Amino acid sequence: MPRFLKEFFDRNGLGIGSLMLGLVLFWTIGLIILPQLSMLDFSFRPNLPPPEIGGPKDVYTMENYKYLVFGPEGGSQDYNAVDLKVFYRTLIAAIFVTIFNLILCYPIAYYLAQTKGNHIRIFALMLIIPYWINEILRAFALRIIFGETGVLNNLLVAAGVFDTPFDFIRNDIALYAGLGYAYILLMIFPIYNVIESLDRNQIEAARDMGASWPMIHRRVVIPYAKPGISSGCTMVFMLSAGALAAPQILGGPSSLWFTQLIYQQFNDNSDWPQGAAYAVVLLVTCILLVLAVMRLFKVNMGDIGK
Amino acid sequence: MKNLSLMRLSIWAYLAIFFAYLLGPLVIMSVTAFNSPEFPRATPWECLTFEWFSALFQDERILNGIKNSVMVGFGTVILSVAMGLAGALMLTQIWPKLRATYYTIIIAPILVPGVVIGISTLVFWDRINRMLGLGADSFLSNGLFLTVIGQSTFIASYCMLVLVARLQRYDAALTEAALDLGATHAQAFRKVLLPFMKPAIASAAVLAFLASFENYNTTTFTFGEYPTLTIELAQKVRYGITPAISALAFIIVLLTVFAALFNEANIRRKELVLEARKGATVEELSSGRLKLPGFLSSNWAAVALVIVACATVVVVGTATVYSPQQCIADVQEQKRLETEMRIQELQRQRELRREQQEAEQGSTAPAQSQPADNNSGFGGVFAPSTLSGEDESGTAEPAEEDSGFGGAFAPSTLSGDGD
Repeated sequence: MPRFLKEFFDRNGLGIGSLMLGLVLFWTIGLIILPQLSMLDFSFRPNLPPPEIGGPKDVYTMENYKYLVFGPEGGSQDYNAVDLKVFYRTLIAAIFVTIFNLILCYPIAYYLAQTKGNHIRIFALMLIIPYWINEILRAFALRIIFGETGVLNNLLVAAGVFDTPFDFIRNDIALYAGLGYAYILLMIFPIYNVIESLDRNQIEAARDMGASWPMIHRRVVIPYAKPGISSGCTMVFMLSAGALAAPQILGGPSSLWFTQLIYQQFNDNSDWPQGAAYAVVLLVTCILLVLAVMRLFKVNMGDIGK
Repeated sequence: MKNLSLMRLSIWAYLAIFFAYLLGPLVIMSVTAFNSPEFPRATPWECLTFEWFSALFQDERILNGIKNSVMVGFGTVILSVAMGLAGALMLTQIWPKLRATYYTIIIAPILVPGVVIGISTLVFWDRINRMLGLGADSFLSNGLFLTVIGQSTFIASYCMLVLVARLQRYDAALTEAALDLGATHAQAFRKVLLPFMKPAIASAAVLAFLASFENYNTTTFTFGEYPTLTIELAQKVRYGITPAISALAFIIVLLTVFAALFNEANIRRKELVLEARKGATVEELSSGRLKLPGFLSSNWAAVALVIVACATVVVVGTATVYSPQQCIADVQEQKRLETEMRIQELQRQRELRREQQEAEQGSTAPAQSQPADNNSGFGGVFAPSTLSGEDESGTAEPAEEDSGFGGAFAPSTLSGDGD
């Protein structure tokens, strides 16, 4: 038995130690690593009926990835314009939602972290309550508001802003509002955690030296809060790019989200390898994008999730 | 000074807008649960009704979904809290060189899209199933099993984060002391470490249950024969929505508010008791004569809790005796009258126009004599949607209002006529 393993069992006892080790190995290898590898492997295989799996036809192929870029073989177009456009639009929209959430949440997080008093606890409670309610129901609530005969349209028409109801759903406004709404807490919480530990004296000192409010935020608060901001942004970006419920409920009939394509491949076309390939593309692209942005702003991976 | 108050004002305005965005949708959704139209809407208000709640409780699929969700939830709580605790303990002991890699691996599931986790779980266990040569109905391809496994993959990471925060304040010397005094490892774990971790384990369990209950992205690939509540809701919302869903949402909102207020009231009371004890002398404490503050004294959360509870009782009481039939009949009657009036108005307009045309260019237009039943069909189609505009400005049939309305419609009827 290797030395570190022996030390481990000495410290934890045989029973507890092996239980711990077993659970951790099951989680990391059985639930995290192997399924991802298995999905990656699967995405390189052709779509075969169950009896032929493992047979002579079951060879590695790039077919599924080619499909995303070039479309069906012998198709009329050179590129799979529809799917690529959806993919591109999903990423752009997710970035947009992330920026919107950051702008919306930074002042709130700052205010909550730097103000003391009883009302802050009420605010925190009001902030958390919507997140105990089902994701589907939150999207449903927004659909009631943004629908053609919804509350917002009735108000706007009554106020004379529009003559006829404005189609928020077809114009994707409902979708962006819904995605932004879904991840507010994930943006506020990390930023709040970091700013709360910022010494108020630093801000006072900057103010005494004559710095204006924007200056204080740019030079003192934001550099300090960078780990929180980056981890909030990472989470919001990854989750909104991978969102499925909000696009299904709030998305317009003509605008698809990339996850919806994956869903269609799995459930409507029963083409699992194709769906797996799309999922791999989404995952890898998102990770690369996040890593690139983190490199750009000089943030470490270890700061995420703190 | 003036500058400061302006800033305070803008902060409050910002907070108001923010919380309106956050809570407004929930409030409006809750309101629609009590309005009578078939399609959930808050405006125009028609009748107060409780029928959507009874519709909800008669919905087999929703009830079955709740049952499945609870089963999945319990499985996920047990598995993910256990894995999260093991993962957190391992993080404090692991070889320093491996630490960063290990942390990245166990934190990654939070960032991986739920869709990807669902797919990879499905693909992987399907493969294991095939390798073991089991059939399609084996335990490994069971929806409950797959959903619990899939959800636990990332929920365990949440639990791990919660547990690690508490574990960092644990003094490892306590375990060592227990071992020196002759406790076995299992005893030291059960009697020293677990009691210390208990609050964190409780909050991790609550978090895990809530996360499991509301998960959609992962579950939608793994549920198999066991659709959870979220899956059922998503299917309902995608293919036609009714206020019964609002009713369910309202119940969930109410339960959440109850739980949050109860928790808050408890925390506040503990603080107050602690404060009262701080000033007390030893005799007062030992004799038990210390006057502790009552549950409701200077505890806003407790007061709010009682108010919400009373309001709920009153509403449920009203619901059992209240019948909206009369009101619904009234509204239908009103709608019918309005439709009729609009038809008459349209006919009058058309009559008027024809007379004008006749006066101007004689009687040559062929399409002037539209059949009357066509007209009424047209009015009937338009009635529900135009109702919303009219309802707010009062429906007491002022003559100018009507003609103005008819005027707005004239262009469309004209084009229909001209063809």
